[in-house]
Amino acid sequence: MKYIRYLVFTIKSAFFDFSRSKGRTFLTSLGILIGVMAVVLLMVLGLGLKRYIEQQFESLGSNLMYVMPGSKATITRGGGIVGGIKFDDKDVRTIEKVKSITYIASGYAKAGSTVEANGKTEIVEIVGSSEQIVPMFNLEVEYGRLMEKKDVQKGGKVIMLSTTVVEKLFDSAEESVGKNVTMENQNFKIIGVIKSKGGGGLGGGGLDDHAYIPFKATYSFNPDKKFYAIYFKAENKDAIPQIKEDVQRLLERRYDKDDFSVLEQKEIMETISSIFSIINTVLVAIAAISLVVGGIGIMNIMYVTVTERIREIGIRRALGAKKSDILAQFLTESVILSLIGGILGLTVSYVIVFFLQSLFPAYIDAQSIILALGVSSAIGIIFGVFPAKKAADLTPMDAIRYE
Amino acid sequence: MQILLSLQGYKKGMSFMIKLQGVWKEYQIDREITFTALKDITLTIEKGEFIGVVGPSGCGKSTLMYVMGLLDQPTKGSIHVDEKNVTGLGDDKISALRNAFFGFVFQQFNLINKLTVLENILLPSVYASVKLSYDPLEKARDLVDKFGLKGKENSYPNKISGGQQQRVAIARALIMHPECILADEPTGNLDSKTGESILDLLSELNREEKITIVVVTHDAHVAERTRRTIKMVDGQIV
Repeated sequence: MKYIRYLVFTIKSAFFDFSRSKGRTFLTSLGILIGVMAVVLLMVLGLGLKRYIEQQFESLGSNLMYVMPGSKATITRGGGIVGGIKFDDKDVRTIEKVKSITYIASGYAKAGSTVEANGKTEIVEIVGSSEQIVPMFNLEVEYGRLMEKKDVQKGGKVIMLSTTVVEKLFDSAEESVGKNVTMENQNFKIIGVIKSKGGGGLGGGGLDDHAYIPFKATYSFNPDKKFYAIYFKAENKDAIPQIKEDVQRLLERRYDKDDFSVLEQKEIMETISSIFSIINTVLVAIAAISLVVGGIGIMNIMYVTVTERIREIGIRRALGAKKSDILAQFLTESVILSLIGGILGLTVSYVIVFFLQSLFPAYIDAQSIILALGVSSAIGIIFGVFPAKKAADLTPMDAIRYE
Repeated sequence: MQILLSLQGYKKGMSFMIKLQGVWKEYQIDREITFTALKDITLTIEKGEFIGVVGPSGCGKSTLMYVMGLLDQPTKGSIHVDEKNVTGLGDDKISALRNAFFGFVFQQFNLINKLTVLENILLPSVYASVKLSYDPLEKARDLVDKFGLKGKENSYPNKISGGQQQRVAIARALIMHPECILADEPTGNLDSKTGESILDLLSELNREEKITIVVVTHDAHVAERTRRTIKMVDGQIV
């Protein structure tokens, strides 16, 4: 009973002071609010982006493999995905011979191209490839037809766009089939509209902004007829190590072993995940600085509070409060102050995340909640301890006689 | 009278004494100047005494009360409470002793404005270091009834009169069944009639409860109400 009363009295005292100076309490908590919000949102954003990329990769199906320029070391360190050597048709034909490869396609990619129709434009990523890209990327047709071998052999100016893109250019996706679009100063006829793979937002369309054309159709703006990646699919998971070894060996006849790498989808995904983790950690660390600033705000106000309440401290000491009781009282207050900020910060984050959810898979997980509340309590303790100690160390007589 | 009968049941009944021996209290005002508030005070207070400490302002009488009540350490000399030397005891022990042994009544009442009347009276009990043999809430309610504060339990101190506030302060001083009440100008902020009733209450507690009471005052009339008067001038007992 005594401990409950002790707690009630302590918390009641804290809230009495907060309600007496609501503006000050709010402003002090605001520092923590902003800090917690920044940390939580960046964490959520980072995790959401990672999840989004993983989803995109998963939608490509399993057993997908790539040959890319650059050594594996530079790729997995996050550099050299673009640049270095380029591949050509000869490489595709070489790899094609490897056992257990079901599909193979050249992967010419050009990001940031504009596709235009009806006076409207959309930014797309041109993918110059073959009909084999269809089963490899699990592409499904919504209207029209998919790219076929004859399109690729002829190198005709045909194009497959996703529903997401055509809906922005035409009144309806269905009507767009057979219509022309302009891209890289050339006309392309839409042969098929591909089902959306979802995602997008954040200024990029993910897989939905791909504009698939036959590789030969890229020659006019890709005069060296080369490309940066070769995609292929393994028959099954168990075949992957052997394929890797074979492709590696075959390509080493033509290129230096540090000039290219054979990767499976898992490795690329891990690479991107690790890049995101690093970026995210850095961003969260920067956001954490605002938490420290918020903590200093709490410390400042607690010093003011202690000075304002020296007499009260003296009275409590006269009635038998120990130094530890005074310390506990002021620490409780700074923790409550900090927690108010933490809880408000979480609430605001919730609202923001709720609206972000329409753009990409973001949600606040239990870990973020525990972290936010844990960190704000810790800040309350860390930044409250000096003012509280100042209060506790006052001589009872000096405190009670303080004017 | 009724108050006294009901409080009797709570008494601890141990032999009591406060003894100050060669106590000095000095304050360093700056590097050069030292102010001596108490000069070689030797004083014994027996159990059940009702003492008035009188003297002009600045004579050190309040300091004496604070040092005696363990609110400050003497610069030199020793203090015995209940025949034990308490000089140099750690803060926790001193605080516990202050909590259990002393009740304080101040001129400014010194109630905590954010706690209700009942909570103010209960406050010392939440700082108790030993398990109490009685229910402090029940005791606080008794005190409220007996001090004419019924109906004010849930009021805040700034909503009641000065006389009522001082009664709350005395009730708060009594919640832990102290051996000794130290009162610093308890009537200083009250009109003469209310002041008189507070003095009546204190002398009743002394007479009937055998609670030792030390009243610090500059008011000769207040001093007259006590049974022994200690006169102080310039930090010394004269």
